[in-house]
Formats: sequence, structure tokens, C-alpha cells
Amino acid sequence: MFSKLFPDHTSSTWRLVVLQAITIGTSIALCLTLAGWALHRDLDEMGRKVVLDDLGEHAVFYEQEGIAGVQRLFASGQHNDDDVLRLVSADGKVLFDHHPTAAGNFHWPDSSHLRKLANVKGLVTIEHPENDEHILIGRVVLNDGAILWYGRMDAADREYLGHIRDYLWIAGIAAAVIALIPVFWYGGQVLRPVRSMIASAQKLARGTGDARLEAPSAVPELREFAAAFNKVLDRNANLTLELQAANDHLAHELRTPLARIRGNLEAFQDHTIDEAGREAAARGIDEIDRATTLVQTILNIRAGEHNALMLHRERTSLRTLLESIIDLYMPSAEERQQNLHLEAETDSIMEVDTQRLVQAITNLLDNALGCTPKGGDIIVRLETTPGVTTISVLDSGPGIAKEEMEQIWERFVRGSAAAHSSGPGMGLGLSLVRAVATAHGGKTGCRNRDTGGAEFWIQLRG
Amino acid sequence: MTLLLAEDDPELSRQISAWLTKSGHVVTCHANGDDALNTALRQAFDAVILDVNMPGKDGFEIVAALRADNDLVPVLFLTARDSVTDRVRGLSSGGDDYLTKPFAMEELGARLEALNRRYQQSATGQRRIGEWILDTRQRRLRSPTDFIDLQPRECALLELFLDHEGRTLTKKFLLDKVWDIRFDPGTNVVDAMICRLRRKLDAPGHATCIQTVRGKGYVFKALS
Repeated sequence: MFSKLFPDHTSSTWRLVVLQAITIGTSIALCLTLAGWALHRDLDEMGRKVVLDDLGEHAVFYEQEGIAGVQRLFASGQHNDDDVLRLVSADGKVLFDHHPTAAGNFHWPDSSHLRKLANVKGLVTIEHPENDEHILIGRVVLNDGAILWYGRMDAADREYLGHIRDYLWIAGIAAAVIALIPVFWYGGQVLRPVRSMIASAQKLARGTGDARLEAPSAVPELREFAAAFNKVLDRNANLTLELQAANDHLAHELRTPLARIRGNLEAFQDHTIDEAGREAAARGIDEIDRATTLVQTILNIRAGEHNALMLHRERTSLRTLLESIIDLYMPSAEERQQNLHLEAETDSIMEVDTQRLVQAITNLLDNALGCTPKGGDIIVRLETTPGVTTISVLDSGPGIAKEEMEQIWERFVRGSAAAHSSGPGMGLGLSLVRAVATAHGGKTGCRNRDTGGAEFWIQLRG
Repeated sequence: MTLLLAEDDPELSRQISAWLTKSGHVVTCHANGDDALNTALRQAFDAVILDVNMPGKDGFEIVAALRADNDLVPVLFLTARDSVTDRVRGLSSGGDDYLTKPFAMEELGARLEALNRRYQQSATGQRRIGEWILDTRQRRLRSPTDFIDLQPRECALLELFLDHEGRTLTKKFLLDKVWDIRFDPGTNVVDAMICRLRRKLDAPGHATCIQTVRGKGYVFKALS
């Protein structure tokens, strides 16, 4: 319901803070408005009662003791500062008038007010001409025809209301601070474990380490989630081990009989004097070697795809590694009249499985040499940016058809460019490249160069 | 050489011992790790060939026991496992070389030769090929009247051929020893390097000294 309130990248802590602020702000505003309104109403009612009460009291005193009684009562009530009293005889003469300075600016009730008196319990409210103060005035006609006016200013009530409002604010702010406690709790007990889970999950995704999610001080639901997730990871780790063991076993079971056949073919080749027989034996030996490589490659790709490829990482200078590969391929490139260069302005020292990485890069180079025409350029490039090292192989071949960009990385898929090349590829080269990169926690990709030809890259972290 | 072979696969054991015997070596065979270790501890050999997976003690355990007994006999592992981790484990347990099945008998021979040579510490800085002398330090072939400069890999390749003169060396062996690569690159990188070396070494109009053996590899024969 609230998901559309926030931009996508807003963290949940901020969302919680904003929602809390809205809730608390609204609550305080509601409290202030309701309590203020209710108090105001009660004070008003009380004011009326006081005025009516005082009016009656003064009337009784007038009837009993005359003006002196009214004066004595008024003086004893200590209303001097905010109450008004006026006694007017039947013929309109002011018999007594107490008018504090504060009430000086109010207009005394005129005929328009008098008409209202009947409707509002005999009281009328007069507004201050300059500020929003009020004075509540009532009158009573005495037995001798004189009129007693009694008024009360609301300054004291307003002051009282102001105090109440201040206290309400203080209470509101205190409540807001207390309401932040859930936010801190959320940060410590929910968000921090979630963040550490994200970090360990990312580590797992990169295939580094066999870490597990840990959330010892998290809420029970998160602990349960971590336990369930860890169970999945354990099961995956077991599957990986099984896959490695099965691969090992398969390779082992296959290699020994192949070795026997190879040995016998060799013996045959050594002992026969028949030229055709020797040639057949040589072809057989070639096929056995090819089959061995093929099986090993398929097993490695399968293991790499499932993060089960066992790596033997060593600290390696990638520039030196690329130089030695260039050195290996230079005679072949020269023989084919292709220009092979290395572009490596910086070096990158990384923990990699040298044999497997070299195999991946040579697979790219085999393709590049296979599809680049005479006189064409082949560039091997090493680029390092903070956190990422990219090894690219750029060729001057026909490039990659758009619909094949992703397909060619799959097993047993040969791109249309391979049809032009002379190699007897099985369509496993690029999938091995990808498997090796994945096993290293890296990525692979390809694109067509603007100047023609294709670029294939392996991107490694670190 | 007197050799000890521990291999539990009877057919492979028969082939290997037959080939080694034919090549002039004396071979003692065992199909079980415990027996192999007992024999190795009792008798002196020029080199020991051990299968990694065997009944009884495995290859790694045998080497560890030999080394614990201060026996520095060169050890070559035969294994059906092609992973760097296993290879490193084999070498770090005290083994000297590592050969993955299936393999060429000639490669086994070349590796045994190399091990034996290293064991006898007989490396020299200069080699003679007819009237030419290979100076590995300067990477240069010299004759009384001429010289040929060699690039580092060419020199390493030629040195390897000279170490195993007359023996057929497989591409796999050359890639391992010269380039430290233990897989087969698709491109004919070894052929191209051999061609380049031939162009430098061979006198025009004469037979080449590095010959190709179909289905096996290359053999170096110094021309008289």
C-alpha cells in the first residue's frame, strides 16, 4: 500500500522514519486540535456560568444593600483586572462603572447587541477591535428599573489555553522521540542482520568462500529464514561435492581404459611394418587424445556452470600471463600472416587458476586466429579499472550475427563464423571460457567492433 | 635404469613394463601399494613410477613414506585425475613429475630420462650439435664461422630436444615443458614454433634435424 510512496532506492529505514513522522505529526495535530477545541468549549461554558453567576450575585446584593452592596461584592471578588461592571439607573444615569484599562478598547454593547441577548442565555460576546480577545457581557434589569451589566474578559482563559497547548507540544515531542525507538530497534534487529545476509549472499553469488547466513541477534523470522537458506546452501554444497566426485570418478573410469587402448595402439604402431596399419594406428591415437580432451572439457564446463570447478588459485601477473600466451601464438599468427598484438598499459596481479585462465584465453585466441583473414589484426587487451579487470580478444573476422550473440556461449553451438574457420571445433570453446570465468566469479561477453570483427571479453573482479 | 612400477591395472602394467623393458630398462612390477613400498624401502631404484589410486597404500602415501626414510629416488606419478589440485598435491607430497592417463609411452620415457638426469645433476651450460654449440646462457647457437640468435622459447625447445635426442617427444610434453601449458590449444602453436626453429637450424637443401613422427610427435636427430 505504501510501496508507491517512495522512490525505489529509498532504504527501508528512511521509509520507516518518514512513515513514523507522518503518524506522529498527524497524532500531535489531532490531539492539539481536539483537545484545544474541547477545552475552548469547556472554558466558554465555564465563563458563561461565571458571568451569569456573578450577575445574579451582584443583582441580589443590589436589591439588598443598594450600590454600596454591589461595590463591596465586586471589590471582594478581586475581579479588578479583567471584569467589567456597570450599573445604570432607569433613567440612563451611570450609577457605578468599573472598567479596567485592558477592557478600555472594547465597544460597550449597543442596541444591536441587545437584540441578541435574548437568544444567547442573556449573554453577548464582544470582540476586541484590534486583537482576537473577547469579552463576555450579560445584563439584568433590576426591580427599580436599573440595569446591571457584568462582563468578563477571556484573557486569563486564553493564557490557560496557551499553557495547555505548550504542555501538549512538549508531550507530543517526547512521544515522537519515544516513537523513534522502534526505528532504532528496526535498524539493529532487522535491518543490520538483513544487510549482513545480503553481504553473505553476494559473496555466495560470486562463488567465493563457503560462508553461511548468520543472524544471531535478529528477529525470529529472520533467524528462521537464515536457517532455511543455509539448509539450501548446505544441500547445494553437497550436490557440488557429489558433482565433483562424480566428475572425478567418471574421468578416472574413462581414462584408464583409454590408456590401455592407447598403449595397445602404440605397440601396434611400433611393431607393424605395414604403412597403412601404422597410419590407422596413428589416427586411432589422435582420436583417443581428442576424446580424452573432449570428455575432460565437457566435465570442466559442467563443473564450471555449477560452481563446482575446483580452482587452484595462485597470485599471477596477468600481463606476464598474456605476454606468454602471445609468445605461444606468435609463430602461428606469423605463419598465417596475421598481426598479433598485446595492449596492456597496466598490470593486474590477481589470484587466479593460471592453467584454466590460460586455457580460456587461448580458446578465444584460437577462434580469433581461425576467423581473421591474412593481414588482419588480432589484439589481446588487458584493461584494469578499480575492482574490475578485463581481458579482451579482438579479431578482424566476420563478426557475430546478432541472433547468435548469446547462443554461441552454449555447449555444442558453433557460430556461423566458425564455418569459415579451418578448426575442427566442437562448439565447446566459448562455453569453457564462460565456465572458467564463472568459476572465478567473473563474467564473459562479446560484441561486434565498430571497425569490423568481434571482441570477446572475460571480466574478473578485483 | 632399474625401475619400480606400481600400477594396479594389469593390462596397463603389462604394457608399460613391456615397453620399458624393450627400451632397455629393468622393471619390477607391483599391483599393490603396500608391496611396492616394501620393495622400494628394501631395494635401490633409479626411478619409481606410482599409480595414485591403488589397493593398499596410495601413491601419495608411498612417496611420503619414502621421503620420511630419506630416500630421494625420483618419483613419477601416473594418474587418471587431470586437475591442478591433484597435480600440486602429488608434487608437494614429494613426487617429482606427474603424468596423466592416457599417455604416450615415449612421453613416459622422456620424463623418466629427465628425472634421472636431474637426479644425477649432470646439467651443463653448453651443448654440442655437430659443429654447432648451443649456449643456453646467451641463447645462441655458435659455429666457428657463424652464429644464430634464438628467442627464449626456441632455446628452451631446442634444449629439450637435445636432452632427449633420438626420442619422440609428444606435443603435450613440449607444451608442458616449454610453455608450462597442460592442455591442448586448438591452434597449431607447437607446429608453428617447430617450423620457425627448423627455418633457423636447417641448412637449405638438407634434411631437417627435427622430424615429425605421425601420430606421435617430433624427434630430434643431429645430422652428422
